[in-house]
Amino acid sequence: MKVDTTVRMGSLELRTPLLTGSGTFGYGDEFHTLVDYRALGGIVTKSISAHPRPGNPPPRICETPGGGIINSIGLANIGVDGFIADKVSALPIGETRVFISVVGDAVEEYVTVVEKLEQVDWVDGYELNLSCPNVKQGGLDIGGDWRAVAAIVREVRAATGRFLAVKLTPHQPRIAPVVEAAAGEGAEALTLTNTLVGMAVDVERRRPLLGAVTGGYSGPPLKPVALAMVWQAAQAVDVPIWASGGIVTGLDGVEFLLAGASGLQLGSVFFADTKAPGRILQEMCDYCERHGITRLADLTGKLEPL
Amino acid sequence: MSPVAEMGIVEEQIEISEGVVELTVRAPEIAGLSRAGQFVHVRVSTGFDPFLRRPMSVGPCGDGRLKLIFAIRGRGTRLLAGKLPGNTVDMIGPLGRGFDHPEEGVIPLLVAGGIGVVPLLLLNEQLPVGLERDFLLGVRSRTVLTVTDSEIERRHISVATDDGSLGYRGDVVQLLARRLDELDGRKVNIYGCGPGPMLTFLKRLCQERSIPAQVSLEVPMGCGVGACQSCAVLKADRKGYLLVCQDGPVFDIDAVDLSPEALP
Ligand SMILES: Cc1cc2nc3c(=O)[nH]c(=O)nc-3n(C[C@H](O)[C@H](O)[C@H](O)COP(=O)(O)OP(=O)(O)OC[C@H]3O[C@@H](n4cnc5c(N)ncnc54)[C@H](O)[C@@H]3O)c2cc1C
Ligand SMILES: Cc1cc2nc3c(=O)[nH]c(=O)nc-3n(C[C@H](O)[C@H](O)[C@H](O)COP(=O)(O)O)c2cc1C
Repeated sequence: MKVDTTVRMGSLELRTPLLTGSGTFGYGDEFHTLVDYRALGGIVTKSISAHPRPGNPPPRICETPGGGIINSIGLANIGVDGFIADKVSALPIGETRVFISVVGDAVEEYVTVVEKLEQVDWVDGYELNLSCPNVKQGGLDIGGDWRAVAAIVREVRAATGRFLAVKLTPHQPRIAPVVEAAAGEGAEALTLTNTLVGMAVDVERRRPLLGAVTGGYSGPPLKPVALAMVWQAAQAVDVPIWASGGIVTGLDGVEFLLAGASGLQLGSVFFADTKAPGRILQEMCDYCERHGITRLADLTGKLEPL
Repeated sequence: MSPVAEMGIVEEQIEISEGVVELTVRAPEIAGLSRAGQFVHVRVSTGFDPFLRRPMSVGPCGDGRLKLIFAIRGRGTRLLAGKLPGNTVDMIGPLGRGFDHPEEGVIPLLVAGGIGVVPLLLLNEQLPVGLERDFLLGVRSRTVLTVTDSEIERRHISVATDDGSLGYRGDVVQLLARRLDELDGRKVNIYGCGPGPMLTFLKRLCQERSIPAQVSLEVPMGCGVGACQSCAVLKADRKGYLLVCQDGPVFDIDAVDLSPEALP
């Protein structure tokens, strides 16, 4: 039995539901001799800002027991102009779909970056990273405030006709108003979720393990949190959901599909297993064969009541 | 840079001294491509805990084999030390930028601190046969040597120990300073790898005497290929960062900040 892996998301068809998680797959070409792009429906680049950001003081990564990691990269990136000048030519265009992650500290910055990227022909779409401090609102996460989310999505929507995904933070008192706001303003996919804020301490030296003290907690321990958010968002809105958080096996992917996801982002897993896309796709197809399912996309939202 | 993913096979596992292990791994592709100073990113778990790969310098290699030589520090290196002949080692590599060989007429001085000897063992092999060189190694004491006695003899390695239990009594940078005096102004190029404090002293000495040096750095790392930007080190001018996995691990000593605050 051959399992059909294609998924449709609004105007776009992806070869497989697998995408890369922003920031874990660089500008798209760093892994090129190690990753099988055919197993990916698309890549999402590292988040790009209007100006270069140097990033946080080191150390920027540490491990936690139970398979977690915490990173404090600080959104280091070369800025949109540098990206267009130096990185566009190396993107895996034609090999897979390309989504550019965009970050800003205010509405205007998101719009500026997207407007510049509109000049580049081959971009399939954008993912707005809204899990960052809102400078004008005293540093609270933009993605936690449904009014701010609505404003950004509205302005960016007006600036582009391309596919638009919106990525949200797990730090949400209630997810429904935020996803409704994003969907209401024209988001075509919602990515859930970004990392949780976390911290680790070297007790022998009585020092934090990260230069920025706190960072983003990801990897397998994040999965239950992300799963709950995907499920809650799927209950609230009709737009496709891209799951992000702790996917390392095909069965993790199946869990997210059942909870309501259409796309599956592979993030930290690349740091452990560069062959993850092909392996995870195969494991999901094996699951489908065992259950007599012919299309991966048919699993989306098929969670049975208890 | 075109790293490959290769499943190596352990052929031999020996303990060089207490807590220092040498694995001889059959991995023809990586062994054939590696330049001294480059590293492999090694998966230590068959699952996902511990999650990250461990960066390890490529040690002596040839004949389709490479040596990983490491100090047991935490969970990852303990798991790696448990690999026995016949076991597999999942690696990606060779990664990063290695050492540049010296120009003609320049004497390479290899200066290692502890387990930092590993990339220099490969450099020593890859330098042209017969080229005059000096190989210095500093360790705390002879009980924690990072190379075997027979290698020390065969490679003409000069040893410094903090406690004087073998060779020169003192640290390896002091030994280097003496050696430089003996060489009396001849053109040299220093190749260094070792713990933070050693690199701080080494940089000071190189600046005082205007000697060019390349050093290999060790910092916590994520992807190993330049994608995640986890392994940043501060530039010498403190304006921005370089990535150990991509811009290094070997840097010109003047390019990076090696002050104690920068190397926690
Ligand atoms: C380019 C490069 C080459 C290296 N070559 C060698 C070598 O040839 N031999 C050798 O013994 N060691 C080498 N190291 C250091 C080695 O990677 C660490 O000792 C090892 O990762 C420690 O893992 P652990 O699980 O035992 O320690 P833990 O302390 O349990 O590790 C926890 C986390 O911190 C990281 N970490 C801890 N200490 C270091 C360190 N000093 N450098 C980098 N990451 C660290 C680990 O990778 C892991 O992600 C190298 C490091 C780099 C960056
Ligand atoms: C090193 C690292 C850097 C990241 N950088 C970004 C980023 O720039 N933008 C973003 O939206 N998410 C970023 N993330 C979050 C991931 O895209 C992903 O949402 C998160 O890690 C959870 O998924 P995972 O458990 O599969 O890694 C980063 C994660 C890691 C580990």
